[in-house]
Amino acid sequence: MAGLVRRVHYLAGFSGPAAGPAAGRPRVLRPGAEIFLSTGRELVHVYDPEGRQLTAVYRLPAQVWHLEVLALRRALLVLCARRGVYCLSLDPARRSVSPSDGDHEDGELLSPVIPVDPDTCVLADATLCAFTVLDDKLITLAQGPAQWKVQLFECPCPGQDPRAKGPIGEVELSTYTPPEGSPGKPRAPHFLPVLCCVSPPGSRALHSHLQGPRGFMLEGALFGLLFGVDACLLESPVILCGLPDGQFCCVILKTLVTSRLAPGDPKALVKILHHLEEPVIFIGALRTEPVAEDLEDAHSDCLVALGHRGRTLAIKASWDEAGNLVPELREYCLPGPLLCAACGGDGRVYHSTPSSLCVVDLARGGAPWDAEQPDGPAGLPSLLCPASLNVCSAVALAVSPRVSEGHAELLALSAKGRLMSCSLDLGSKTPGPTRVTAANSGRKIKDLLCGIGTVSERVSSLKKAVDQRNRALTCLNEAMNLSCALLSSREGPRPISCTVTTAWCRQELQDVLTATCLLENSSSFTLARGWALCLQVLPSSPAAHLDSAGSAVTYTVPVDQLGPGGRREVTLLLGPGEDGVLSLPLTVSCALFLSLREVVGGALAPSDSFKDSSLDGCPPDVLPEQGGICLPLSEHTVDMLQGLRFPGLAAPPAQAPGDPVDTFLESCRRPGGEPAGPESLRAKYLPPSVAAIRVSAELLRAALGDSGSGVSLCCTTLQWLLAENATVHVVRAQALSSVEGLAPDGTGLRLDVREVAVTDLCPAGPIPAVEVQVESPSLANMCRAHHAVVGRMQRMVMEQAARDSSPPDLRMQYLHQIQANHETLLREVQALRDRLCTEDEASSCATAQRLLQVYQQLRSPSLLLL
Amino acid sequence: MSHQIPLGSSVPQVNCLDLWREKNDQLVRQAKVAQDLDLSLRRQQLAQDALEGLRGLLHSLQGLSASVLVLPLELTVICNFTTLKASLAQRFTEDQAQDIQWGLERVLETQKQLGPRLDRGFRGLWNSVLHASAVLPQLLPALHHLAGLQAALWLSTDHLGDLTLLLQTLNGSQSGASEDLLLLLKSWSPPAKESDDPLTLQDAQGLRNVLLTAFAYRQGLQELITGSLPRALSSFHEAASGLCPRPVLVQVYTALGTCLRKMGNPQRALLYLVAALKGGSICGPPLLEASRVYRQLGNTAAELESLELLVEALSIPPTSEVPHFLIEVELLLPQPDPASPLHCGTLSQVRHLLASRCLQMGRTEYAAEHYLDLLALLLDGSEPKLSPPPCSSGLCMPEIFLEAAAALIQTGRAQDALTVCEELLRRTSSLLPKMPLPWKNASKGTKESPHYPLWVSATYLLQGHAWVQLGVPKQAISEFSRCLELLFRVTPKDKEQGPASNCEQGCTSDETLQQLRAAALISRGLEWVASGQDTKALQDFLLSVQVCLGNGDASFHLLQTLRRLDRRDEATALWRRLEAQTKLLQENATWSLPLYLETCLSWIHPPDRETLLEEYRTFLLEPCDL
Repeated sequence: MAGLVRRVHYLAGFSGPAAGPAAGRPRVLRPGAEIFLSTGRELVHVYDPEGRQLTAVYRLPAQVWHLEVLALRRALLVLCARRGVYCLSLDPARRSVSPSDGDHEDGELLSPVIPVDPDTCVLADATLCAFTVLDDKLITLAQGPAQWKVQLFECPCPGQDPRAKGPIGEVELSTYTPPEGSPGKPRAPHFLPVLCCVSPPGSRALHSHLQGPRGFMLEGALFGLLFGVDACLLESPVILCGLPDGQFCCVILKTLVTSRLAPGDPKALVKILHHLEEPVIFIGALRTEPVAEDLEDAHSDCLVALGHRGRTLAIKASWDEAGNLVPELREYCLPGPLLCAACGGDGRVYHSTPSSLCVVDLARGGAPWDAEQPDGPAGLPSLLCPASLNVCSAVALAVSPRVSEGHAELLALSAKGRLMSCSLDLGSKTPGPTRVTAANSGRKIKDLLCGIGTVSERVSSLKKAVDQRNRALTCLNEAMNLSCALLSSREGPRPISCTVTTAWCRQELQDVLTATCLLENSSSFTLARGWALCLQVLPSSPAAHLDSAGSAVTYTVPVDQLGPGGRREVTLLLGPGEDGVLSLPLTVSCALFLSLREVVGGALAPSDSFKDSSLDGCPPDVLPEQGGICLPLSEHTVDMLQGLRFPGLAAPPAQAPGDPVDTFLESCRRPGGEPAGPESLRAKYLPPSVAAIRVSAELLRAALGDSGSGVSLCCTTLQWLLAENATVHVVRAQALSSVEGLAPDGTGLRLDVREVAVTDLCPAGPIPAVEVQVESPSLANMCRAHHAVVGRMQRMVMEQAARDSSPPDLRMQYLHQIQANHETLLREVQALRDRLCTEDEASSCATAQRLLQVYQQLRSPSLLLL
Repeated sequence: MSHQIPLGSSVPQVNCLDLWREKNDQLVRQAKVAQDLDLSLRRQQLAQDALEGLRGLLHSLQGLSASVLVLPLELTVICNFTTLKASLAQRFTEDQAQDIQWGLERVLETQKQLGPRLDRGFRGLWNSVLHASAVLPQLLPALHHLAGLQAALWLSTDHLGDLTLLLQTLNGSQSGASEDLLLLLKSWSPPAKESDDPLTLQDAQGLRNVLLTAFAYRQGLQELITGSLPRALSSFHEAASGLCPRPVLVQVYTALGTCLRKMGNPQRALLYLVAALKGGSICGPPLLEASRVYRQLGNTAAELESLELLVEALSIPPTSEVPHFLIEVELLLPQPDPASPLHCGTLSQVRHLLASRCLQMGRTEYAAEHYLDLLALLLDGSEPKLSPPPCSSGLCMPEIFLEAAAALIQTGRAQDALTVCEELLRRTSSLLPKMPLPWKNASKGTKESPHYPLWVSATYLLQGHAWVQLGVPKQAISEFSRCLELLFRVTPKDKEQGPASNCEQGCTSDETLQQLRAAALISRGLEWVASGQDTKALQDFLLSVQVCLGNGDASFHLLQTLRRLDRRDEATALWRRLEAQTKLLQENATWSLPLYLETCLSWIHPPDRETLLEEYRTFLLEPCDL
């Protein structure tokens, strides 16, 4: 459509549409000489294009969602967000002008702002989302608690109070899922539903001038095909509803009754025509076939519905080979997102995207080869080619009724609130060279200036898009570098590290174990917006707590700008939780996560101010919901040794000057006090469980690098064991070789390290060794601590083995015997455990007892590491 | 909405609990004041304000940790809030279930029993709460009230199993005790309200009575639909014996009437229907039911009169009842269902019923008038009241037109009938398939049209009869021919959905098609006979016998024509076959044909078949004896 010559006139500027997701729907109407316009805020402007001035501005109590003009009654119907429908008189005499209130916004034309009297609210209903007017009927669509409801009212007159009358008909549409939101308070709908009236050719509505601009008269064949023979016979207008969930349905108006009289059975009254699967933003009808000579008025022969993301539906009636009427239904995909649309003459649909105002031709499809159809009135084009008109981000469109052949005039409201009038030459004929007259050239210069204005607006919006894309690319580049640096440095210090330390602290009358994760960026890159630190706390619990294994908790902390050398500290609460149980060991794994959606999402979405209002929450399809880059940093196990508390070791003088009440309370909560429960009973009356592990002194010395600093090996060993405990400095300072502490659940636990000699193992004589003894009245805690100690020893031995130190001569036979013993015991354990599964309660108690004994035997003679 | 409680402010020596109580009482009083207001807008606003106030109060109460001291008030506020919300919305929603659940959890919170919330459903929650309440007797009144609301919610959503268990627990009966919900509801006695308790919109006892009536009525309806009539009768009696608002009482009495009619007690049914009519402003369903009773009794005059009364009753715009801010019986009844035996339909449906009954009962004058009224009602856009076409009852608009035309012809108003038919054709002309018609050469070459709607041919048939009546045989014959041309395009087995006529399926039965063909052939044949062209008539009658073997009329007409043409042998053969057939025919002559077709067939019915047969017997057998 290269021959599209256009001229754009800027008529006036208004304050632009309110940004944000709660924006109303801008609207432009031109029922006659005047232009009615709302930008989505609280104001309705009346503009006189001839005099080029605003004639009135009405201020409504809330955002304007929709307006219709009743030309004959000289009235304006306005739907206010969450208020209802207001009926304003357009007669100047009846306006109550109060000049004192003449405030004007953003330097727009000085005109009196008329505040709307709350008494003009003719239909107070907070749930109304859309309405339309047909003849003397007002049709509304309200959002019920679970369903959309279409209601039919007598159309109100200004000054008349229609409130006494109830609806004269209603029906509920299909169910819908209410949007997430606080219960009770309906959230502002993201997309508003759209309504459209269509009438059969013979109906009286044609001659009515009350009809709003949204009414269309459909050709008989299409009408009957879509709505059935009953609608045809009744000559009933039909309401088409396009819902935000994509449903496109129709209700035959004459079949509506009030629900009190008889239930409106939705199955009989509502017919679903199609499902667009995206919010319907426009429904209209147009004429695609040339008007026959003998018909004076052309009815629309094609119904179109446009979805927000560009899916477009066109329905026409056609005849199959047998001569029967069949619907021809086509879906197209226009490049979205669409902001608004309008139907023009000659089969054209104008639609606006954030970047451009486009037109498609449903009569010819816009493609030249389609023009050569074999048979005259053929079906719909197989492909639509939008042609751009180079006007960007129009948020409301209206096609002027005065359309001459091959010529169209569009009214458009731009995103910045400018009202434009665009003249389009739709005929492909190029204007021949005309003689340049003075007047002509004057106009030409004006046109050029206008063109420059449009182009500059377009440029600024495109520039913004480019900037956004550049930023996203930079961000992605950094992320790439960072990933490479992190993933390539498997050995040695990592450029970005995360260390975890644990400590006990008081919180809300309870001692809690916290983990402090320190994220350090020692690389040369910056962690920018979009990165998040993911901390997963995973109970890697012993077999006894298998059932709780699945309860991993993930914390995600946004890392907002962490430059080179920067540090960020995050403290997590590990437990005990609400149930008072802290099951150790826990694994804390740290990872960095970059949300692609946050970084790139904005750039992929069409760039401009509409991103906020219309795209929030509906990301482009290219990005998966959870897409991102995940870089694992470290994994840390918090075991019993880190979870131990040593209240006895805390330096007493530090506490002495404290509040005596605190001291008293402290002493009350002391472990010396009487903890309740079976564990404490057990602690009181049963001997404590003990387990020990022996390690050769030589091995320990080599591993701990004991350089004979005068500190005994036992002390060093204990310090090593408690190295990650917060109290280690006390242990070190007091050179302790045995400590008594508290497990997280408050039972006591004793660690005793002493030097022993293992005699009967080595032929060369006794081997000096260190024995670590764990003792606790609670068997479970003893096991956990033992497990932690063994774990540490194991790691140490592995490291030592790598360094290869030769073991001393051993008496192999003795070792073999120990191994054999252990193997028989293990077999017994297996057998006992199998039995435990099958037995009933009474005998399983005995089995469990036996199992405990065997475990005890397994531990002594204690494990020996050389 | 943030709600501020003047904690420790101007009023000294008043603790929070008293303040909250005062607030609750004030809001309840406000709702009750709103209840009595006439102005709907103001009323709505006051009630809405009270609702918001209660919501705010509830938020304040639930902001603190639960304590046994405050809980009775808190539960009462939940009850008031839920009651007001449900009655304002005129339905229960998921929100209310959540409010109740939250209240229950708060009770458990005081008992430190709030374990994992996932695995216990509502039923488990109630169990734990009611067990806990054994320790906290001061909670019992409020808990019973809350249980009443839960019961209402479950009743309205048909969770009868849960409801039974809840009532069993409330009554303290063992599991496995009575499963009869009605008995359980009767034996449930919520503790009486103390005078110093916080105010409630509705007390538990009242709620129980509402539940009892609603459940009895629901159960009765169910039993009525499934056909266990004696049990339905006792359920309805139960519902009627309780306290019930007038509109519900009308429904219950009507249901009793329906039940008794089906049980074969029309006189007793009438007594109840009269009581229902005395009961209130809603008189649609009882009048319809009365017409059914009279129909069963064979009293046509009374039947039609009650239908006329029904039409009148429905013509008056209904006065919308102002709902109370209480849980009422209506709220707990199932949504009105067109399939229900108590549904009385809309004005146009009833008008159609009246008109068609008049036509069937031979009161053609009235029938024609009623049909014209119906068409006016349906087609006149200026009529303020809009009514749906009675499509839900299996009829469609074209059939109404056809019945109207048939009724008009029956009363001798052929010209009016022609107008109706033309209107039907005009309004649907664009839906007809493009086909090569003699007067219009369509550009598209089309051959067959299997979906040609039957009612278009029926329209031609009726038009033909109208012309017959007007004495224009030429026009009549051309209409019949047109009708036949269309009818023979239809292949009987093709039951695919035709274009755009959603109720065509009902009309396209093979039987209808055959009978329609036979009727058209006989009608044309009779016209040939009238114009003296017996050979042409013979052809048509022969064809009609072939088309529709079961149609005895065709054979009679054929017989007569054969006699007139003096083709004795064929006539004899036909007569013998006819005699054999007559007995057979009388047994399976019960097709249900569209009313317009029945009417049309009655016009071409040969008068007094029996005498004719006798006449032939003597006429045909004579020569054989010779």
